[in-house]
Amino acid sequence: MGTKEEAQGTLSSTDFGVAASAFILNWNTVCSSFPPWTWVLSHHQVEGYLSLENMLLSSTQEEHGELSCPGRGIHSHQEDPIDVDDATLVHTNPCKVHYYDLHIIYCNSYRVPVLYFRAYDSDGEPLEFDEIEKDLPAYSKKALSDSKWTFITQEEHPYLNRPWYKLHPCGTSEWMKLLFHADDALAKTGVAIELYLVTWLSVVGHVVGLRIPFEMMKQL
Amino acid sequence: MAAESQSPGSVKKVVVHLRATGDAPILKQAKFKIPGTDKFAKVIDFLRRQLHRETLFVYVNSAFSPNPDELVIDLYNNFGFDGKLVVNYACSMAWG
Repeated sequence: MGTKEEAQGTLSSTDFGVAASAFILNWNTVCSSFPPWTWVLSHHQVEGYLSLENMLLSSTQEEHGELSCPGRGIHSHQEDPIDVDDATLVHTNPCKVHYYDLHIIYCNSYRVPVLYFRAYDSDGEPLEFDEIEKDLPAYSKKALSDSKWTFITQEEHPYLNRPWYKLHPCGTSEWMKLLFHADDALAKTGVAIELYLVTWLSVVGHVVGLRIPFEMMKQL
Repeated sequence: MAAESQSPGSVKKVVVHLRATGDAPILKQAKFKIPGTDKFAKVIDFLRRQLHRETLFVYVNSAFSPNPDELVIDLYNNFGFDGKLVVNYACSMAWG
């Protein structure tokens, strides 16, 4: 299935559905301590997209700009008043906690998955891009400054019709080709489709500091 | 020899094998020993400097691209084989 597409680093929309269900099953089994990915059907119930919502991104974390799941006590241990200094006073403000929603949507024109995301603070107020930028890991900021606005753009979410941030997909098939072409034997067995999204997210996740657990990557 | 001595708290070194893909230049020296406590970002920076390229696509075992914050020792323990960690690099990484 789809071996020709894989050689191009792309995916058909049917295969995206196959890859997505494999990915959900995989993630939710291996990473039960993380928030789950879910499949959201579009209003006409034909297409859908992957969704991971309410990921916590707190600027109080030591490893700055890294997403982690809620309820891990990220700032609880920093509330000891003895330890408070100027820097932590600024950062331990609970209002500084940022939540991220990530959606993976199939793009028909590039035939690859695309990451859409938005962020909001604890009051539900959407974050402007300059605030999001402060949350991003350093290497992501660097890539951003190198490529300016072609890298992350604000566009209408194809299903929600609201402005979301989007990672431009035009380079995607190029690097997916590298990651898939390397092992032709794997492509022939058709296993690769199921693993497409893990591979893809291992690259794209960097941008927002999402770490894929090693257990997921061990299957690659 | 002295550098290899195992004092308590000494850092385990990991052999990293750098493999060029596509039209990426091949390095004269492809195998390096680096401290396991280094982040993967160090490997990426090293390649950038060696190849004089700002945009590189760096991945492991021809399969995935590790987060730059991952420690080399963790990658080695999970994905290394034959006593080394295979790191592939290509000279194209267009985001848009």
